[in-house]
Amino acid sequence: MKEQLKKQIITFLNLRDLKPEDIKDDEPLFGEGLGLDSIDSLELIVLLQREYGISIKDPKEGRKVLVDVNTMADYIEKNRTK
Amino acid sequence: MFYIHQAYCISPQQTFINAGWNVLHESSDNQLKVIEPAYENIPRNLLRRMGRSVRTGVGAAFPILNETKDIDGIIIGTATAGKEDSFFFLKQVMEYEEGLLTPANFVQSTGNAIASQIGILSHNTSYNITHVHEGLAFENAMLDVALLLQENSENHYLLGGADELSDYDFNLNKLAGCYKEGITSNKNLYESDTPGTIAGEGAVMFLANNVQENAIAKIDIIKTLFTTNVEEIQQAIKTLLAQYSIDIFISGENGDNRHTRFYAACEEALKDDTAIIRFKHLCGEYPTASAFATFLACDILQKQNIPDAVIKKSASEKQLKNILLYNNYQGKQHSFVLVSGV
Amino acid sequence: MSRIFITGIGIITAIGNNANENRASLINGVCGINTKTKYPSKYSGVLPFGEIALTNTELMDKLSIHNKGITRTTLLAIHAIEEAISDAQLSVGEISGYDTAFISATTVGGMSKTEDLYHDVMATREPSPYITSYDVSASTIFIQEHYCIKGYSNTINTACSSSANAVMLGARMMKGGMAERAIVGGVDCLSKMTINGFNALQILSDEVCRPFDKNRKGLNLGEGAAFLVLEKEENCTHKKIYAEVKGYGNANDAYHASSTSDNGDGPYFSMQAALRTAQLNASEIDFINAHGTATENNDLTESRAMMRLFNDVPLLMSSKANVGHTLGAAGAVNAIYSALSLANEEIYAGLNFNDPAEDTGLTPNLHYKKKALKHVMANAFGFGGNCTSLILSRI
Repeated sequence: MKEQLKKQIITFLNLRDLKPEDIKDDEPLFGEGLGLDSIDSLELIVLLQREYGISIKDPKEGRKVLVDVNTMADYIEKNRTK
Repeated sequence: MFYIHQAYCISPQQTFINAGWNVLHESSDNQLKVIEPAYENIPRNLLRRMGRSVRTGVGAAFPILNETKDIDGIIIGTATAGKEDSFFFLKQVMEYEEGLLTPANFVQSTGNAIASQIGILSHNTSYNITHVHEGLAFENAMLDVALLLQENSENHYLLGGADELSDYDFNLNKLAGCYKEGITSNKNLYESDTPGTIAGEGAVMFLANNVQENAIAKIDIIKTLFTTNVEEIQQAIKTLLAQYSIDIFISGENGDNRHTRFYAACEEALKDDTAIIRFKHLCGEYPTASAFATFLACDILQKQNIPDAVIKKSASEKQLKNILLYNNYQGKQHSFVLVSGV
Repeated sequence: MSRIFITGIGIITAIGNNANENRASLINGVCGINTKTKYPSKYSGVLPFGEIALTNTELMDKLSIHNKGITRTTLLAIHAIEEAISDAQLSVGEISGYDTAFISATTVGGMSKTEDLYHDVMATREPSPYITSYDVSASTIFIQEHYCIKGYSNTINTACSSSANAVMLGARMMKGGMAERAIVGGVDCLSKMTINGFNALQILSDEVCRPFDKNRKGLNLGEGAAFLVLEKEENCTHKKIYAEVKGYGNANDAYHASSTSDNGDGPYFSMQAALRTAQLNASEIDFINAHGTATENNDLTESRAMMRLFNDVPLLMSSKANVGHTLGAAGAVNAIYSALSLANEEIYAGLNFNDPAEDTGLTPNLHYKKKALKHVMANAFGFGGNCTSLILSRI
């Protein structure tokens, strides 16, 4: 599932020169690591809704979930409706 | 008005770093698309969000940003920057029925996306403006630079004209009857006596200031008109020709027979020994195509040579000093630009 | 160099169809933002908007313009331009003169015709009458043809600072000898594009916005058109004059496409540049019509910038709580409200404010009062970090 999630992250955020194997499971998504920004966090919230049926209303809540691939995957496992 | 010191152009031809005019890249389906360089200087996280006009605009600006310490303003003319992003966002709006949407395309959809990204990448906090008046967007950018240099004579400005050929624009312009009915190659653009032209795109960036020494060229006159009346164009060119002796006339002729009368009127007014050259078979038709023509003029002045690929009517060997560019967009927005050697 | 005077104003917003109505609403603290929106969006009736009451049909009838393919953007612009040129008593010859500059601004243009645009591009229906109306320059070109404008014409799009830049450019062109007079301003109407765009960024408030308030939740979109006639002092004998365009400054924040740097560098530099061209000290500014969109980011960074620049931040307000954020028109709306303040010696109340933000502690002016002002600053800050400040002065 993490492999699929990484592919989805790459497509959604248009990280065109990256492959799933370039993203480590515990690599920070924001700040260091992938260096994503506030627009990306909004995009990832949409990804969670569209692909997994998970709704996150508050972007600040979202940042707690969107730390790295591991935290995202855990959250998806617990909350997915698709 | 002002001097040009550097000029870079990303276009459908070999024009970026070492312009070569010998090979004519051919159009496809009535479209001429740019040859994009590898954008080594643009951070991946910014590059992924950039539409083509932003990438090419930034790409053409980079050599100038690298070579010039102080840029006191970024002045861009564009009619299409951000439009493709606008449409991608609009598609989401329609397809998801105004539901939960991703914002990245919306953020990049403003017309000032090029000027803004150049500012961000170069940490430039000075004057930053985007002129979007369609076929006069680049001319208005030039006039702004001329005014800025009048106000601040020691300054240096990044001046640019950039447009992208998106499916969005192509489809709309096609519906509006802008393009040839059947497929026309750029190699035969001027031969058919039919309405319509072919679509193009490009990004051109210049460094402009008041310094004559080592300048590539001087922009002497920028004149814009809004008319459908050929007599006004005739009058305008006669006035210019009475003041200046022109060595080369660059014509914005684009194969559209609805507008040939304007170009014919200009050519009639020229002296016999004036060379006539055309450029839209190289770059296609788009709102800021006059920026490509200005780049071409600078190249000719620097090399003192007119490429065979652009010649409509040659002239005898002589020093090439004054080049008059006349262009119109859809037969309504007209401009004359005088580019001179220094 | 000539002094530049404002001799005509024209404005239509959610709080009035002309300058007098707008001024009366400002005096009475009227808020034009509500959920009774007619624009066909899923969010009409849900989120508050500052919609102009006149429908397109009413505008067309009022202006006697029934061209197929005409957009609300163009209709609103012409409505305001008619008022401005009549107010300035410009002759037909002056409007068409080669020495008159016309500079308009818009961010959406004809793209408010969302469905028509979608179907035209995707070729899923017969072509609509709007094919040549979508571009941001389309309304400017229509207006050029409508008024036979032969002089310099331009359209500016720098997001929310667009029309402030139009005012600035008009004044600069006149001072630089490129125009004798200028008709400058901007327009934007509600569109699914901007409604959904700002909603996707999660910066639309579900209540009427609270500029500078501790509990502000975001902006409300509004629509508006605002145009000014600028003339040189020597051409203004026997003319009514609202104010002088004394200073202007544009700067780039150079930080991020959609948010302003923490310390408000762009706003700080644009305000500083305006003071420089006006040859004024910060302490001489009596009032600020802030950009004040009521987003967390804008009001915080604009406040910080003002606190950096001014030892004592002057009285200020944001009209965004009256009319909403009118995007391309916002800069010119602020300029006109500043001109009205100066000409009538009064200041207007900022609405919907309860508590100052903890980190900056600024409180807008909360009461209408008569007050003679010398210099008023008007701010407009846009996506892409484009920041513009104007200074208008009493003559």
